[in-house]
Amino acid sequence: MKLAELQTTFQHALFDAECTEAEWIKESVRGLSSRYRLDVYHNAYRLRLIDVLLDTFEHTAIYLGDEWFNQLAADYVQTHHSTFTNIGLYGREFPDFLAERLADDKEVSELALMDWKLRRAFDGADSAVMTLDDLQQLASVESSICLQAVPTLTSCTQHFNTLDIWHAINQDETPPTAEPLPEAIELLIWRKGHSPHFRSLSKIESAAISCLCSGETLDGIGAILEKDFPEVDVATEFGAMLRRWFDDEIISK
Amino acid sequence: MTSGFGLGLRTEHYNDFLAEPQPVDWLEVISDNYMVDGGKPLAMLDQIRANYPMAMHGVSMSIGSIKGLDKEYLTKLKKLEQRVEPMWVSDHLCWTGVHGRNMHDLLPLPYTDEALQVVKRNVEHAQEVLQRPLVLENVSSYVEYESSEMTEWEFLAEVCQATGCRLLLDLNNIYVSAFNHDFSPSSFIEGVPIDSVMQFHLAGHQDNGDILVDTHDHPVCDGVWDIYRQALLRFGYVPTMIERDDKIPPLAELISELDMARTVADDVLNTKVAL
Repeated sequence: MKLAELQTTFQHALFDAECTEAEWIKESVRGLSSRYRLDVYHNAYRLRLIDVLLDTFEHTAIYLGDEWFNQLAADYVQTHHSTFTNIGLYGREFPDFLAERLADDKEVSELALMDWKLRRAFDGADSAVMTLDDLQQLASVESSICLQAVPTLTSCTQHFNTLDIWHAINQDETPPTAEPLPEAIELLIWRKGHSPHFRSLSKIESAAISCLCSGETLDGIGAILEKDFPEVDVATEFGAMLRRWFDDEIISK
Repeated sequence: MTSGFGLGLRTEHYNDFLAEPQPVDWLEVISDNYMVDGGKPLAMLDQIRANYPMAMHGVSMSIGSIKGLDKEYLTKLKKLEQRVEPMWVSDHLCWTGVHGRNMHDLLPLPYTDEALQVVKRNVEHAQEVLQRPLVLENVSSYVEYESSEMTEWEFLAEVCQATGCRLLLDLNNIYVSAFNHDFSPSSFIEGVPIDSVMQFHLAGHQDNGDILVDTHDHPVCDGVWDIYRQALLRFGYVPTMIERDDKIPPLAELISELDMARTVADDVLNTKVAL
């Protein structure tokens, strides 16, 4: 058998749900079947990927419990081949998979997405952080200032009390019953120092972050907020927001 | 050649290495764990690298891939190599997937002339990018192929001879494969060129009775220590490390196992000199 055919055949054998005999494997000196020996690889493939999912989606796994999580992870492994050299990225589609499989338990996919984004923030790109002093210096020479978010900054929307569930699991407490929120919340996720951070956003801050990420100048963000939130004292609110952004280290130098 | 006794750097031991000097001569890092954009992994790597020489050890090059090497992977590896300035860069004699899929396993190659040409071509490509000899490790295997035309050690010797690449002999992998395929570990040790061996791995495995499985999650067993003794007699002092990939024990336990390797090496080589 030529190398290309052998590698394709071997790969298919591992992807197949059932491990079967393989005539391209040399007979064992101990009389072990080819299926038995191939099964070492067949099992290892599944266990390794399930382990990665367990590691990446730690809170989700605790929430679902070992048996249910492992079953879902096994189904995901059977239907999703890895296309990554970095095994840590294997779970990229897992939150979507859970959203589809557990359509009546949407808090699960929200929890998984939060786990995923926090993990990605952990080893996301570094960048020097801008301070309030840096901004003041910049303001003394630039008339129009466009700030840039740190590369790990991202967000996700939650329609359920997923954040409370996450906190309970994190503190080793019994999570509350899942309930839809009266209004969806936006969660900001980024890395500060070596640690992933997150916090919920008010509507006005969510709008401001969205403007920041789309490249608006500070004046531009202020103008948009004035227009969209006429009932708010935008100058005061935006000033407080900016100070918090610098404290949180979400602005890149 | 750098000598001495090292350990694989694992996240569980970051604080031990940062807190105080540890009695290890060098550390081996899994390249793939640090081929990330930033954050704690790279920060820890830089801090620990400041105090220890390092070797880089990869798991995803897929040197036996018929389609050739992943250029993006090689570029990232080169970038990390420039950051770490390692003693050497190693990966495995294996393939990890085809058709854009990755099985994240170290799958054995058939030892055929066709595979040899593929590996030679890929090793040359990697060495061109890295601008240094690649170091290849033998893997544990549970199957052999009907199509194989030579032994694993003959294959490795051919690759070394043709490309100038070097070898990382994982003595546990030799032990595991020797049991599973019923060959003598001595044949392997005697079959690889003396000057090509850059490093030894010592590790443990799982004994399932009729098959040994390379788990790297156990202490080194007596049989592997015996192979180490044979290897020392043939190759002399070669940089040696304990490789533990799972069920990571406290650092002190691994250092104690590494001390055992030092003692074995001294005993074997001092006796050899005395003779």
